[in-house]
Amino acid sequence: MKKLWGYIAFAIAYFVLVWVWTLKVEDSLGYPEFISGGGLFFIIFFLCLFNLRKRLPFLPLWPAHKWFLLHTVTGFLALFLFWLHAGVLWPKGLYVQILSILFYITTLSGIVGLIIEKVYPHLLTRIGLECIYERIPRDIAEIRNKAERLVLECTEKTGSDTLAQHYLETLGWFFQRPRFFLNNIFGGQNAQTWVKEQCSILERFLNQAEREYLEQIFALAETKRKIDFHYSLQTMLKNWLLVHVPLAAAVMTMVIWHLIVIQVFFN
Amino acid sequence: MDENKFDHDKSPYERPNFPYRCGRGALWRTPCFKGPKIDGSCGGTQDCEPFFKKGRWSCRREKRYGGSCEEGPGPNGECSWQRPPCAPRKTIRANRGQISLLVVAAILALLATSQALNPDGGGFVSISDAGPLSKAHEKFTATQGCSSCHSAHGKGPVGWIKAVFTREDISVSCVNCHSFGGPDSIPHNNDLAKGREVMKTECIMCHREHNGQRMSTLQSTSVQCNTCHKNKFESFTKGHPEFPEKYPYFNRNSIKFDHGSHLNKHFENPKFTQKAPSSCIGCHQVTLSDREVRPQAFEKICADCHGSQIKKKEMVLLRLPEFMKNHIDHEALTQACNSPAHEAEEEFLSVSTEMPALISTFLLDVPEDDPETYEQPLQELIMAMTEDSILSVEDLINTQTETPMAHKLLTGLNPEVLKRAACSWGLNLEYEPPVEAKFGGWYADMLEVRYKPMGHRDPVAKAWVEFALAVSSKEGDGDKEARAVAMRDQVISPKEGVGGCVKCHAVSELADAEGNKELKVEWRYKDVNNRPHSQYAHSSHIEIMGKTSSCSNCHILDGKAEYMASFKSFDATNWSSNFASIKRKACVQCHTESQIVQDCQTCHVYHLDPGFKKKMHSGNKQIAERLK
Repeated sequence: MKKLWGYIAFAIAYFVLVWVWTLKVEDSLGYPEFISGGGLFFIIFFLCLFNLRKRLPFLPLWPAHKWFLLHTVTGFLALFLFWLHAGVLWPKGLYVQILSILFYITTLSGIVGLIIEKVYPHLLTRIGLECIYERIPRDIAEIRNKAERLVLECTEKTGSDTLAQHYLETLGWFFQRPRFFLNNIFGGQNAQTWVKEQCSILERFLNQAEREYLEQIFALAETKRKIDFHYSLQTMLKNWLLVHVPLAAAVMTMVIWHLIVIQVFFN
Repeated sequence: MDENKFDHDKSPYERPNFPYRCGRGALWRTPCFKGPKIDGSCGGTQDCEPFFKKGRWSCRREKRYGGSCEEGPGPNGECSWQRPPCAPRKTIRANRGQISLLVVAAILALLATSQALNPDGGGFVSISDAGPLSKAHEKFTATQGCSSCHSAHGKGPVGWIKAVFTREDISVSCVNCHSFGGPDSIPHNNDLAKGREVMKTECIMCHREHNGQRMSTLQSTSVQCNTCHKNKFESFTKGHPEFPEKYPYFNRNSIKFDHGSHLNKHFENPKFTQKAPSSCIGCHQVTLSDREVRPQAFEKICADCHGSQIKKKEMVLLRLPEFMKNHIDHEALTQACNSPAHEAEEEFLSVSTEMPALISTFLLDVPEDDPETYEQPLQELIMAMTEDSILSVEDLINTQTETPMAHKLLTGLNPEVLKRAACSWGLNLEYEPPVEAKFGGWYADMLEVRYKPMGHRDPVAKAWVEFALAVSSKEGDGDKEARAVAMRDQVISPKEGVGGCVKCHAVSELADAEGNKELKVEWRYKDVNNRPHSQYAHSSHIEIMGKTSSCSNCHILDGKAEYMASFKSFDATNWSSNFASIKRKACVQCHTESQIVQDCQTCHVYHLDPGFKKKMHSGNKQIAERLK
């Protein structure tokens, strides 16, 4: 927390420095856009370095969590510097408008990502199960195989196909792949309700032996539900960058072109 | 679930930074142990790569994948656990990289396309468009496009690289059309620094383009002025110098109007009270006020009292003076005048005992008080008038000035009247007009040819005043110059001069472009304050303070000022106003920090005489013709 306040203080100091310098240049009939633009470019460049840092984990370039914290604070700093540089919320001219909209969406995606990064890990911890995102397909296949083996065993041993019929009609769909994605990312309980409902409606049609198998299948379904929850939230944790990073690359490209045009036409 | 399932010998090591992941896992089936190869092909067609040692093949399946299989490798070294290949999918990281590259490529393509398709700018594809131009500039850039101002535009990559290393002054493009009263790139377009070194200025220091329909000017504050100015302005009370001594009455009035005598004396006189205005706005046009609150026309505000005085002030062009001898050829005279035969008097006794008119003595260059000297030239003039009437006078007038003025000076003079008067005078008789001249203009009466002004703005009276001033400014021999001055003093005399023009209109000595000084009558109302970098809006002040009493808040009569005495000399620089100079404290009453704005720009104008060059007008014509 101390570090966060330190970074925020640094960001405020940087902004005030650029702002005061801008005012000073404006008052002395200079070109304040060069000062605010230079300050903004430096910050955007620094923001882009975070991605490079993640590609070079073997180098001792400061811990990633500190980078993340500084990236977050400087991201907000960039937004204020952008407003200082443009002078308005929505500048005129097609080029700068495209640049602005890309910048705003990048910032917005960053804010959404920040919320996701701060909220989802707590939810994942609370569910009481750990799993690696890349292994989720294997885990689901394993659970599915176990459930199907139990269904076959039940049919063989009890001579009743009630559980097997029910599995084919309802639970089979659930074990096939991750389900309730949208409901999970918004913290809904639909998956839990659905699993309970599917097991409870079948219970009264089963004898004691079948019920034991059903309980085992229910336990597997619960695990699967938790893995689904992991899948949904981890997908969001990883995939928000699919929006943020390409947009950031687009912003950087347009910023470089903007710099070239300024150098050529406004030298 | 097995809590130890992530142990190194129980599960594979995940590498999310690899570009591909197993295709089976992507379909939510059990992924293979090995995963895809680096080139994206399936690496899981078999569980292991059997190892050939000591003449036999042995299974090498890792422990975490179940260890060596029971079946073992085939005789040719193939793994027993074969499966069809899957179609590996890209990992999230690889997708992210690919999308980023695609987006960057798309933007570069868009930039390249916009440059290639539309190098001159404009149109939707011009992604390098920096923003719409102001209304004032969007038309003249229509043909040349961006290169109207940016020289690097449309010059290709080489031109762009050159432009990066060459300093471009956009102000050069601005002054192609805009003009100022002084140099473009020095502060205020005016050499106010008087030799001191000052910063070179550029238009873009204050003006910005590409901000839409309205031309954007940076908000100018006092701080910007303080960058150069020694007196650091903070407010009217702090940092602003005291107003100059005569502020704002720097220039002598073109119209002599003694506010002191009118307000305190004439308007108080019961004879004129009815005609007197009730307040300042009775004479000054508040509705059209801006920097100056001009007085209304003579006919509206002066004529009631002074209108009749103009007509009373006549001018004598010619007067038959006293002659000692008669030099006129009697026979020629009777012939020229077509009069009946008449015997000449044996002893000449002049009918007139008057002195000649000063105008005629000046025209003939003779002394007005020596009959022996003037009688012959004057009698020759009378004789000439009997023969050529007005032509003889016209010739005399036109020789006095470089530009002939007789056509203005003698407008309305009837040649017949002049001839008849000359005939009578030639016969040593008084001319008897048929009736009294009532309505003004030229007429002859007894011993004189006179001009009676018809009213204000009488063109003949004006022309005679100008003529008198013009000839008196000319350098000549001493006598001639003295006669010109005497004639001028008579013509411009406020009491006796023709029409009494100079009673109200100031006569000032002005220098022309070559530095030659000449006397000029100030016929028109002239702005009192012509300081080019100052501005003042009377209208808004009157609106706030009221029409009737607001003037006297600032304009306070100075009872001790010798206002009319200032006009006795032709030197316009040395004068005293009717009003006491306005002090800074008068403004400070309202312009304080808590009340009304008091920036430098409230009262001062940066540029000197901003305007447009003619080139721009011709350009507009060309555009208009093309549009037709």
